[in-house]
Amino acid sequence: MELIYNIFIKDGGWLTILNGLKVTVEISALSLLFGTLLGSLLCFLRMSKFTPLKIFAQVYIAIVRGSPVLMLLMLLFYGVLARAGMPPVAVAVITFSLHTAAHVAELLRSAMMALDRGQIEAARTLGFSKWQAFQLVTFPQILRIAKPVYQSTIINLIQWTSVVGYVTITDLTRVINNIASRTMQPLITITGGLLIYLAISWLVHGIFRLSERKSQLRQADS
Amino acid sequence: MKLKKVAKVLLSCVLAGALFTGCGGGQGGDKPAQSEAPIKLGMITHLNATEKRMAEILEKVQEESGVNVSKYTITYYENLNNLQMGLESGSVDRASLYRCVADFALATSDKFELVSNDNLKGLADSFCFAVRKEDSALKDDLNKAIDEMKSDGTLDKLIDEYITKVDKKQAPPKIDIPMTEGAPVIKVGVTGDLPPLDFVNTDGTPAGFNTALLAEIAKRLGRNVELVDIDSGARAAALSSKQIDVIFWAIVPVGEKIPSDIDKPENVEMSKPYFKDDVAHLKLKK
Repeated sequence: MELIYNIFIKDGGWLTILNGLKVTVEISALSLLFGTLLGSLLCFLRMSKFTPLKIFAQVYIAIVRGSPVLMLLMLLFYGVLARAGMPPVAVAVITFSLHTAAHVAELLRSAMMALDRGQIEAARTLGFSKWQAFQLVTFPQILRIAKPVYQSTIINLIQWTSVVGYVTITDLTRVINNIASRTMQPLITITGGLLIYLAISWLVHGIFRLSERKSQLRQADS
Repeated sequence: MKLKKVAKVLLSCVLAGALFTGCGGGQGGDKPAQSEAPIKLGMITHLNATEKRMAEILEKVQEESGVNVSKYTITYYENLNNLQMGLESGSVDRASLYRCVADFALATSDKFELVSNDNLKGLADSFCFAVRKEDSALKDDLNKAIDEMKSDGTLDKLIDEYITKVDKKQAPPKIDIPMTEGAPVIKVGVTGDLPPLDFVNTDGTPAGFNTALLAEIAKRLGRNVELVDIDSGARAAALSSKQIDVIFWAIVPVGEKIPSDIDKPENVEMSKPYFKDDVAHLKLKK
């Protein structure tokens, strides 16, 4: 017990961990936001009937989804954007946004494909405009189908951010590693770090469960 | 049905237990029987040397220093944490560290003890700074500062204060790096992976010997030193892409035959050494 206190709490050590956690959450949240927006756009391009755009999206998804995110991050930070003088966190957000976008695009596309095309045609024959059909028929269903996969995308994203120590960012993993070196107790420290990541994942899971229950309640009401 | 479930739970518990404790416990017992077998030694990898290159180097070390290297089979670890976990799990029998790092480990944790009978006397590594080749002005400045500190005794004082006489149970003192308004900035990569040299304090700020040294150098050069916390694997990339200007480097010169720039990458220059330390081996307490 004293050992755990010494490792994680003593002399404000928990504050340092909290700072690292803040960085991890910050990068994850921003990347999720931008990644989702970019991913939706990408999915739109991927589904479009204009062939060059479609091919562009296909190539983008193939490259980004197939490359290890750490290599992508190092390539951007130490290569492509090295001269731009951007803060490391910005580069990390860009990288993870690009990466998440590819995954989100694919998961949205699979959700679209799960839908029955006949529904849209039916909506169109009933006089809905294209936009209305999307907004009222397609979109709510995509949301429902994509939700579970989206949740695991978020959790994956949070775990991927643990490599940002390679680009001079002190995130949760870096803090944990520093503590492990300082205290010479790597096993306990890393277990502690793992529990923190686990807690975040559970939090995300909990939020999704809550929103599910709410939407169920709403359906029951109506 | 219930019995099956209970058996399953038990089995998984045993498995998990075996995973967590590692197979180290079992191996400890039958070690004396096979004393002729090579000793499994863990080392921290050198930044730019492949395992093959390291084998060549160690062969030369053996010739020069008389330390029998061939009795070890060596596993390389990326950093101290991994090395330590390798030792604790029994993947390696001994960990090769610098004396000051070993002392720190002994003071911080009661799991280890020093291997005393090895004659490692001839082995010593020096520590220096590495900069980009085109940064020769910076290298000269660093050399000048190191020379000055050597001649006026500041270096010995710092070594005393932060390595030899440091109370390892206490957190090392916070170090303020003097800031000069408008002066050019030298960015230095720290990893926190090698206490008490490369060390990150409880509050997340770098401290320890290297930081104290840099504070002194900043004062002498009239430049600002910015410490950048970075994963040790990315230091070379960060240096060559100008994200940082200086990294810490260890050189392994023994005698005449081994050049001091043994694992030096093409585009990197090294400063004069500022600290020298012996090699010490640690093992788990029985």
